[in-house]
Amino acid sequence: MVILREGMCPGLDEDLLRSLRAADIRTVEDLVSSDSEELAQKCSVSYKALFAIRRVLLAQHTAFPVSGADLYEELLSSTAILSTGNPSLDKLLDSGLFTGEITELSGGPGSGKSQVCFGAAVHISHHLKQSVIYIDTTGGLTASRLLQMLRSETTNTDEQMEALQRIRIVRLFDVYALLDCLYGLCGGGLQQASVGGGSVKAVIVDSVSAVIAPLLGGKQSEGMSLMTQVAGVLKTMAKDFSVAALVTNHVTRSGSGDVQPGLGVSWSHVPRTRILLERVETAPSVSRSSLRSATLIKSSRQPCCIKEEFDLRWWSGAAGGASGKRKLDQAGS
Amino acid sequence: MRRPLSSLNLGTNVKVKLGRAGFQFTSDLQHLNPEQLSQEAGVSQQEALQVLQAADTGGGGGTFLSALELLQKEEGSRSIVTFCSQLDHALGGGLPVGKTTEICGVPGIGKTQLCLQLAVDVQLPQCFGGVEGQVIFLDTEGSFLLQRVVDMSAAAVRHCSMLAEDEEQQVAMTTFTVENILSNIFLVHCRDYVELLAELHLLPAFLQERTKIRLLIIDSVTLPFLQLFDDLSQRTRLLQGLGQKLIAIATNHNIAVVITNHMTTRLRGAHSHLVPALGDIWGHAPTTRLLLEWEGSQRLASILKSPGHMETTAQYQITCEGFRDAAQSEQPQSKRSRTFTD
Repeated sequence: MVILREGMCPGLDEDLLRSLRAADIRTVEDLVSSDSEELAQKCSVSYKALFAIRRVLLAQHTAFPVSGADLYEELLSSTAILSTGNPSLDKLLDSGLFTGEITELSGGPGSGKSQVCFGAAVHISHHLKQSVIYIDTTGGLTASRLLQMLRSETTNTDEQMEALQRIRIVRLFDVYALLDCLYGLCGGGLQQASVGGGSVKAVIVDSVSAVIAPLLGGKQSEGMSLMTQVAGVLKTMAKDFSVAALVTNHVTRSGSGDVQPGLGVSWSHVPRTRILLERVETAPSVSRSSLRSATLIKSSRQPCCIKEEFDLRWWSGAAGGASGKRKLDQAGS
Repeated sequence: MRRPLSSLNLGTNVKVKLGRAGFQFTSDLQHLNPEQLSQEAGVSQQEALQVLQAADTGGGGGTFLSALELLQKEEGSRSIVTFCSQLDHALGGGLPVGKTTEICGVPGIGKTQLCLQLAVDVQLPQCFGGVEGQVIFLDTEGSFLLQRVVDMSAAAVRHCSMLAEDEEQQVAMTTFTVENILSNIFLVHCRDYVELLAELHLLPAFLQERTKIRLLIIDSVTLPFLQLFDDLSQRTRLLQGLGQKLIAIATNHNIAVVITNHMTTRLRGAHSHLVPALGDIWGHAPTTRLLLEWEGSQRLASILKSPGHMETTAQYQITCEGFRDAAQSEQPQSKRSRTFTD
């Protein structure tokens, strides 16, 4: 619905607008969906003029077909595949995060969603020399952990600092702020953020469920509408600016005790690729381990339900020392 | 790209009125003044002004800072020590300021004791490596024991006076007394979840006035919400809203938020496990999760979840002086009895 305004198309002048309003025609939608002949009589304007206006407006507001060949050309020139830096995850994702798409990580508390996000952010900013926008809605981002990951990649302090500078962080805690931020990014924020260094190739939202879930359920339907808005703007941003969107989601348990991603069925159509992260339960005596399993539950490229295991310490590099410590703990217990 | 008006932070009835009048995108509101808009859409002039302001400023979208700036900020901020060096080491110096931490554990394991200890420790003078802040304590279980706070403060004062060497520390010791410690603790009793939510709603204004507060303790978050067992989805929704509010308070006012949580049993096949209460979804709310548990007669504190630290386990004990390192030489049995001697 777009309001009819003077000068929108030739022939739509003030007088016509006034008489259209008198006939309760305010928006383009009203005009297009009304019967032109009847309207011409009601407003005493020529049928021809009204028909011409209608055609111009339809042409202005329509979507155009694109040929597959052009699309393929565009795909080749604009799509990038950003590796997450972890071979097991890359295998699930068909070699990495695709720009123009939304990838989702879901998992329970402490399943390693944020760690994967950190790792991907560090890898993209350090190895691929591209900027990353990190939207933190849970307060979980710690820069010292990013530095720790970078230290295992390089010992050069300048390179570490440069990589950190390419990660732009915004912390916000409600859905309106998230929408403000995303629309801001679409309206020029992405270009601004890419000043001084590579262009923005990835936008990470950790976590999208933290701001949406408090609004869902109950009698109010606004939460659903806001969730659709977030989904819409994320998709448009990913496509129009060819960035990879990586979002995290929580999990819920179904009646039978199975774990499934949160935010319900309507959200499940939003991400192109979904990965479920879980802790790997080893022997019951050793409750804590840094091993995680990742299961592909939705993908348009790979067969679903592939499962890979990986170690969260992959990114820390200091695996040797840490595992020694753990052994010590086990021996003590 | 065009932004729908429904994505703005406005009242639902205003949005409905705007939609009915044919306004859908923020671009539709360009070239309109509040009077015209209030006429066209049938909203009051004040509402029209709000709409135009929201449409105008929306899209600026938060302040960006680089990870480097965040790192410098993190390095500049101190942590609150727990007086248990093993646990402090595992947490990288103590409980981080500006983050939320949850302490879960079975009854009697020492959740409240750790909270009381933190309420004292946050006041350690800066020259002793402390944060030198005030604390607000939201007590929902009636478990705030003043006598224990006095014990712990006396022990902390004793400890510091033994350490005091240079003049700066001597001067700091004159104000670091039990009375001052007690006067820097603000205690709020919340009897049900409505009072708790209302208090958290009012808290930002209180924190604005008292800029020295560095720690917010809620002991516990579980009990008030146990009353809401008849409507579980309502409970989940309220809890998630509460979690986001706590994170916002922690980040915006740069204070540490500590909450305690009970344990509950979950059946998996024929086995039952002890897991933190309030469900899986609540588990995402705190940034760091500490689990206090018994192993035989030994008390263990483990990091269940943390964005920046390995999942490690530390031993601790609770003495009449407070939360301390586990003494290796002593018999575990004597430690437990010492807790109850005073």
